[in-house]
Amino acid sequence: MSAVTVSQAADYAEKNPDFIPCYPQRAFFSVGVVSILAAAAFASWLPLQVSIVTLFLFAGPHNWFELRYFLMRLPVRFGRSRNFFVTAFAGLALLTVAYVSLPFVYNARLWSDDGWSTIIAGWNTALLFWLGLLVWLRSKQKRKANWTWTIPAGLVLASLNWLGPDFFSLALVYIHPLIALWFLDRHLRRMRPEWLRTYRRCLCLLPLVLAVMIWQLSQTTALPDSNGLFWRITQHSGAEVLPQVSSHLLVSVHLFLEILHYAVWIVALPLIGGVIKTVPIARHPRGFPRLVAGLLIAALAGVVVLWFGFSMNYSTTRDVYFTVAIAHVLAEAPFLLRML
Amino acid sequence: MKALLFACLIFSASVAKADLPKPQQPPQRAAREVLHTSLEISTDPKAYEAKLQISESSLKELRAALDGAPGNGSIVGGISISPTRTIVAGLLMFMAVSIAGILLARSTSFGRTQKTVGALVLVAVLIGVAAIITRGNAGPPGSYRWRNLPQALAEGKPTFGGVDIEIVPDADSGAHIRLVMPLKKQ
Repeated sequence: MSAVTVSQAADYAEKNPDFIPCYPQRAFFSVGVVSILAAAAFASWLPLQVSIVTLFLFAGPHNWFELRYFLMRLPVRFGRSRNFFVTAFAGLALLTVAYVSLPFVYNARLWSDDGWSTIIAGWNTALLFWLGLLVWLRSKQKRKANWTWTIPAGLVLASLNWLGPDFFSLALVYIHPLIALWFLDRHLRRMRPEWLRTYRRCLCLLPLVLAVMIWQLSQTTALPDSNGLFWRITQHSGAEVLPQVSSHLLVSVHLFLEILHYAVWIVALPLIGGVIKTVPIARHPRGFPRLVAGLLIAALAGVVVLWFGFSMNYSTTRDVYFTVAIAHVLAEAPFLLRML
Repeated sequence: MKALLFACLIFSASVAKADLPKPQQPPQRAAREVLHTSLEISTDPKAYEAKLQISESSLKELRAALDGAPGNGSIVGGISISPTRTIVAGLLMFMAVSIAGILLARSTSFGRTQKTVGALVLVAVLIGVAAIITRGNAGPPGSYRWRNLPQALAEGKPTFGGVDIEIVPDADSGAHIRLVMPLKKQ
């Protein structure tokens, strides 16, 4: 660490009593690189087995940490952001309910394949419309920012979605883990600005690792999908939508991104977020300490129930988890927008 | 009178019989194209028998195509099958390009050159996307890739190109596998 950076850190620590002294940037870089390489190696080596273990261990806890993080970022009073949060929570509820009901709609077998694709395209369009609305509401609060380009961009995405709803949904599966990396970037910018450059250097490694994975795994034979669980894992990664691509490659790449996603939420953000030791809406005199405590305890019970479910019937619990977990995917959007 | 009645009966019977529809012939089964994929023709001086090698994924794809399973086609094949979805996608793309054009034109930070370049890029992207979707940019005909096949075979080099897999009735194929190459007499 250079002398200038040390003095900046010292100033920062003086101004922020809760500031926890940072590790050297070189160590941060090393940990980042080793984590990325280890995740890629494990995901490429035993994709199915590592996928099962990773989901079992980290799926629930990462949701708990996400909830805690979102509660930390929730203002005590919405104020000027009232419309933004009302739109965010209303859209979150409606889209989640619609998504959870999709399996029941599918099982009703009232639709042709084409009709089913139209339903999926409709849900994706509703998601894009909601995101567009949130971007517009957020842009009204940021006078200097010009986010009008998001309108045509959103329309192009909606158009592509209608051409291939399955591909669009699959793209969401792969893009969602990357959102955590964006959160970490914004969080570092606020809490550890001196680490940001190092972090972004680590991120430069990501496309390289992905390229090597694709190069190494594109010619591998398809993973066995003889049993229900393996079939679910390969389908979730897009083996049916992309039959030309090796399912080994698809599962490995998706698992690699998922591991990074879990690492960010469970390890990186809580460590850096140690600056804020309590949730503001619980600590504030006009806050809701009991509600927040109740939510966190209920979420903790949910994690235990999830572990129990995985132990009893892994396949069914996995299906239920990935259906209900759409709520946390959606919740990331408004909180990320608030950080931009 | 009896003779007349008999003659009438014979005539009516022949008329009635002539009015019967022809017995239904089994419909003539035509060749149907089930899959477009790629083919490599190569030589092996050490081989004693001609070999037809099919990758596992290609076999799966072919099996799925034969079964008529939806969503198992190629990536391009999976796009815009439905007319309704294509119309909605077209409308949204039209709106996207229109709004982008208006925003670009109204933008004060852009110079004239940038606007022209931006408009050209937009048009190019639009045409490209439309061409990909409609498969209008098929490029040269498939036979183009096979034009040097005899020469490549003589030199022992592989040749790579597209191939349509057709299922033909046994009567037409003689119950064997036939490879038809799009080559003209030189």
